[in-house]
Amino acid sequence: MFQQMNIQQNFPEYNIPGKQHHDFSPYESNGGSIVAIAGKGYAIIAADTRLSSGYSIHTRKQKKTFKLTDTTVLGSTGCWCDTLSLTSLLAYRMQSYVHTHQKTMSTNAIAQLISVMMYNKRFFPYYVSNVLAGLDEEGNGVVYSYDPIGHCEKTTYRAGGTAGALLQPVLDNQIGYKNQNLAEKPEITKEKAISIATDTFISASERDIYTGDSVVICIITKDGIEEKTVQLRKD
Amino acid sequence: MATERYSFSLTTFSPSGKLVQIEYALAAVAAGASSVGILASNGVVIATENKPKSTLYEEGTIHRVEMVAEHIGMVYSGMGPDYRLLVRNARKLAQNYFLTYKEPIPVVQLVQRVANLMQEYTQSGGVRPFGVSLLICGWDHQEERPYLFQCDPSGSYFAWKATAMGKNAVNGKTFLEKRYSDDLELDDAIYNAIKTLKESFEGKMTANHIEVGICDKTGFKRLDTATINDHLANI
Amino acid sequence: MSILAYNGGCVVAMRGKDCVAIATDHRFGVQAQTIDTDFEKVHQVAPKMFLGLVGLQTDILTVRERLAFRKKLYEIRENREMTPKVFSSMLSNFLYERRFGPYFIEPVIAGLDPKTSEPFICNMDLIGCPNVPDDFVVAGTCGEQLYGMCETLWKPDLEPDQLFEVISQSMINAFDRDAISGWGASVYIIEKDKITVKKLKTRMD
Repeated sequence: MFQQMNIQQNFPEYNIPGKQHHDFSPYESNGGSIVAIAGKGYAIIAADTRLSSGYSIHTRKQKKTFKLTDTTVLGSTGCWCDTLSLTSLLAYRMQSYVHTHQKTMSTNAIAQLISVMMYNKRFFPYYVSNVLAGLDEEGNGVVYSYDPIGHCEKTTYRAGGTAGALLQPVLDNQIGYKNQNLAEKPEITKEKAISIATDTFISASERDIYTGDSVVICIITKDGIEEKTVQLRKD
Repeated sequence: MATERYSFSLTTFSPSGKLVQIEYALAAVAAGASSVGILASNGVVIATENKPKSTLYEEGTIHRVEMVAEHIGMVYSGMGPDYRLLVRNARKLAQNYFLTYKEPIPVVQLVQRVANLMQEYTQSGGVRPFGVSLLICGWDHQEERPYLFQCDPSGSYFAWKATAMGKNAVNGKTFLEKRYSDDLELDDAIYNAIKTLKESFEGKMTANHIEVGICDKTGFKRLDTATINDHLANI
Repeated sequence: MSILAYNGGCVVAMRGKDCVAIATDHRFGVQAQTIDTDFEKVHQVAPKMFLGLVGLQTDILTVRERLAFRKKLYEIRENREMTPKVFSSMLSNFLYERRFGPYFIEPVIAGLDPKTSEPFICNMDLIGCPNVPDDFVVAGTCGEQLYGMCETLWKPDLEPDQLFEVISQSMINAFDRDAISGWGASVYIIEKDKITVKKLKTRMD
């Protein structure tokens, strides 16, 4: 600190008046939220379509879900350029897998690959919140969620992104039946899951300025991936 | 300095227990123009003489009846300049109360605070008591009724149904005692107030020579000359 | 870490049909260490008015005492009970007096007008900016989680027993996702002629 000051005092001519000095900041939060729910024979993953930066909205139509295979969809938010970088690299790695092994990747293999790819950048991480939803070998739904450096957790429901904190307790309550003293806990049907996911996004768009415009819901079953769009608040 | 020993207060007790300065202040009030106040069932009225000392005076520029808050007004007998200071302070007190509690000041509270101020001037150093008595009228939003108060130079205050101050206060009060009844309407009260002033009025009474203020649940207002003329026509 | 999150804790208040509810957790800690699991953050300041304070515990106690002092003075001076509306403006002014050295608390007020029984809820930031909505207010270290819960569960004109269910579920599921809130909860339901206090048992971790 003192040394720095001395250097500056010794060479004042190098401080050009009026010149702006910028620190390089490699990250930016572009907002967005993801909700994924897995059940028997299906998995759904929903993400809003707003892409913003600070108080300004870049676009209201940016899908944040990425169809990886016929049974796997990745939702990714955070620093959008990192999302793009990660997903294109992922596409490359998945294509290599196809060439090497002559088969498409299973959901849990993709889950593991993402974890490894994220950890590869342990000291300059991808600033993203990832949620992976898909069907496992038996055709049942699974959800994997990640932290920015690649820690992976397998669950049945997860909320991520800027409204993750708002939505996770709602899912705990509505999907996980947490703190509800019920004699039996009925399985969540696909229709119920879609309805809860939609409702959580309507709630999130009320309080989170980075979530809104519309939500795209990917419904993954053995018959393929169906996509539904629901409009949200646009303010 | 030797004189400092006596400058802590002009109001020092006389051996008989009186504060003669206050008595002199009351004398100033008794010599002042008369004012009256009457409580009605649905409002309250205050009225006073405002007779110019010369025909050269521009009429209707200096007022004796003043608004303190939306729902409070006042009038005085005694010294004009002292009154101005009290009006300024009363308005400030009312605004302060509103800023603190977001609720209009109750009339009793304002009267108490003004009376407190007047009391301070009987016990502080370097000042003299106020040469005025005040009539403060207003509407109490909590109790939904009007109030009429008198505030004296000593700092004592009284709630009246009807009263008179200044010149001919004694006659005025006797007159009011005979005329007052509990179920008086505001219009009757205005009539009686003007009538009381007229009892001691020297010369012909015109709308320019008296001031009337009324207060009901809609708030306080000073009557314009046209309205006063209408009332005078009934007398 | 913010000084507001030094001790942890949360409060939520909701409006129902002719009633209000206010709830709080029981934890008092110093950062990650839990000290007390029976710490009251909601105080009854009038027969039908409750004040919830979260933030720095020492400031919670100071603010509570100083407010009680001002409120008593008002009630003696004016010889009438303070309404929640007046109380919140007084609190707002009180906090703004310390604009540049604030008390590290976030207050929540819930009550019924002593005369009209009109429901009232209000919250503020630490320098007293008031917010008087007609649905719910939240404060504390799991404020985001509370917003998510309340926004999905709350609806207009809830009856007292429904309101109790909604506020309890909101609070518990929200603080279960917060490491420094929880350890049980208290819920106060304020109705025109009744005040119900319920203690909730929750997971203790």
